[in-house]
Amino acid sequence: MANELLFFMEVLVGGLLAGTMYSLVALGFVLIFKASATFNFSQGAMVFFSVLAFCGFMQDFNIPFVLAFILAAFLMVVVGLCTERLVLRPLMNASEDTVLMATIGLGYVLEGLAQAAWGVEVRRLDLGIGDFPVPWIADNLKLFISALDITAGLVAAIMIIGLFLLFKYTKIGLGLRAVADDAGAASSIGIPLKHIMLLVWSAAGVVALVAGMMWGARAGVQFALVDLALKALPVLIIGGFSSIPGAIIGGLIIGAVEKILEVYIGPFFGGAIEGWAPYVLAIFFLLYRPEGLFGEKIIRRV
Amino acid sequence: MSNNSVNILDIKNIEVMYDNVILALHDVSLKVPKGKVVALLGANGAGKSTTLKAVSTMLASERGKVTKGSIDYDGNSIEKQNPSQMVGLGMVQVLEGRRCFGHLTVEENIISGAYSRKLSKGDIDQELEKIYTYFLRLKERRKSQAAFTSGGEQQMIAVARAMMAKPKMLLLDEPTMGLAPQLVAEIFNIVKELNQKEGVSILLAEQNTNIALKNSDYGYIIETGKVMLEGTAESLLNNDKVKELYLGISKKGRKNFRDVLKEESLNKKIN
Repeated sequence: MANELLFFMEVLVGGLLAGTMYSLVALGFVLIFKASATFNFSQGAMVFFSVLAFCGFMQDFNIPFVLAFILAAFLMVVVGLCTERLVLRPLMNASEDTVLMATIGLGYVLEGLAQAAWGVEVRRLDLGIGDFPVPWIADNLKLFISALDITAGLVAAIMIIGLFLLFKYTKIGLGLRAVADDAGAASSIGIPLKHIMLLVWSAAGVVALVAGMMWGARAGVQFALVDLALKALPVLIIGGFSSIPGAIIGGLIIGAVEKILEVYIGPFFGGAIEGWAPYVLAIFFLLYRPEGLFGEKIIRRV
Repeated sequence: MSNNSVNILDIKNIEVMYDNVILALHDVSLKVPKGKVVALLGANGAGKSTTLKAVSTMLASERGKVTKGSIDYDGNSIEKQNPSQMVGLGMVQVLEGRRCFGHLTVEENIISGAYSRKLSKGDIDQELEKIYTYFLRLKERRKSQAAFTSGGEQQMIAVARAMMAKPKMLLLDEPTMGLAPQLVAEIFNIVKELNQKEGVSILLAEQNTNIALKNSDYGYIIETGKVMLEGTAESLLNNDKVKELYLGISKKGRKNFRDVLKEESLNKKIN
């Protein structure tokens, strides 16, 4: 009995920690959705592009880890700058649907650029953190939890706290929240939309880089990372598209639920339900709580 | 570069098109003298909002364009400016329909107005206190989410937010729309006070002709994108045609200015 409980705990904690990696990907979507009310289909490509560049800097040019990270982050700021200048600004008065289509196109451009620059083979990314159970926890709590999962959890927590502070207490954060509510009114009082867009896309790029590093360390840096972004979709549906805490909690829920279902119910379906179970959950949310757990309800005064 | 001419705003014969085809303004000229309140009156669709947006350069974001004429603000053409530059130059528009940031608190809304200015935290607090002396009601509700405040309060938030940018000139687009008479009076009192104590010049678009003229120095009446009549507020209030058409003091049914002018020219011909 005690063993079963222990096993359940292990599945749960492992799922939650793996969920933080989904949260990281979802975070990038939320940032952009807040500012431009658009689902950024290129987020997956940004993850792939940024982490491949990071690997390229490290492995092809032998640049040390920290410097390679800074360079890759800087590169994502440049990508944000180009996106604002070449894609968003010309489409400033276009409908949200048009911008949505543009992000799909942007995704293909980024995928192509990444592969043209760094090649198509799968790269191994070694962060120096093993994807093995931490011995200390295994000995003392009898839980087998991967060091990489714990690291991802910590990194996600740090990024979330950072973004929360940025939005709540800085001037540019106030500007972003104002733009998210009413871009026209924001521009009427002199909040420059282009600065806000640049900030958001750069922040989303850096978040993509961090998410890509975590996923790359686990699964290898490869084209499949692009599709990983799709996993963020149920996360966002559950958490709410415009909520940062929602992205986090949505990720945790998806992570935990898919692991638990896989272990306990999976065998009845012949396994591998991890891949689709989150989407079933998402459908239930769409039916009964379309704004998600934490999404901003449209406020109407009565 | 500021100049010493009497007019802070000088619009000369502008024509405005939307989407390159829809002619919204035919020929609008108007002046706002420094430190004065000027009312721009007219019915729905007459071109009041378009005129204000032409001045604040917000037309571009609605695919509108000034195709003829010129607009000078503080002695300089506004042609090459964008909305945030205009705010930097001290010209702030309060958009029609209040447009508060619903998820932000009242105080955050007001502070956001200072975005274009480089102020320290202490300066902002000082400015806030000054703004609250005009908008006492907002001080009580500073921590509420703006979306849950009343229509009158939202209008006050919108004006207070604009005042945080330290404007030399305010463009107010239908500030009293949908408000109860008592609140209309309260809003106008505040506008008047801001004009007198802070020296802000004001261009005010209104449908509420009577109260707008009572609180203005000068007025323009526009119809279908053209200025039909202008004059001091007093002269307009006493003008028989204005009384008949806009103040509802009439024996016959409602008409517009064009009908009156037609009638007049017919009468002239007959005589």
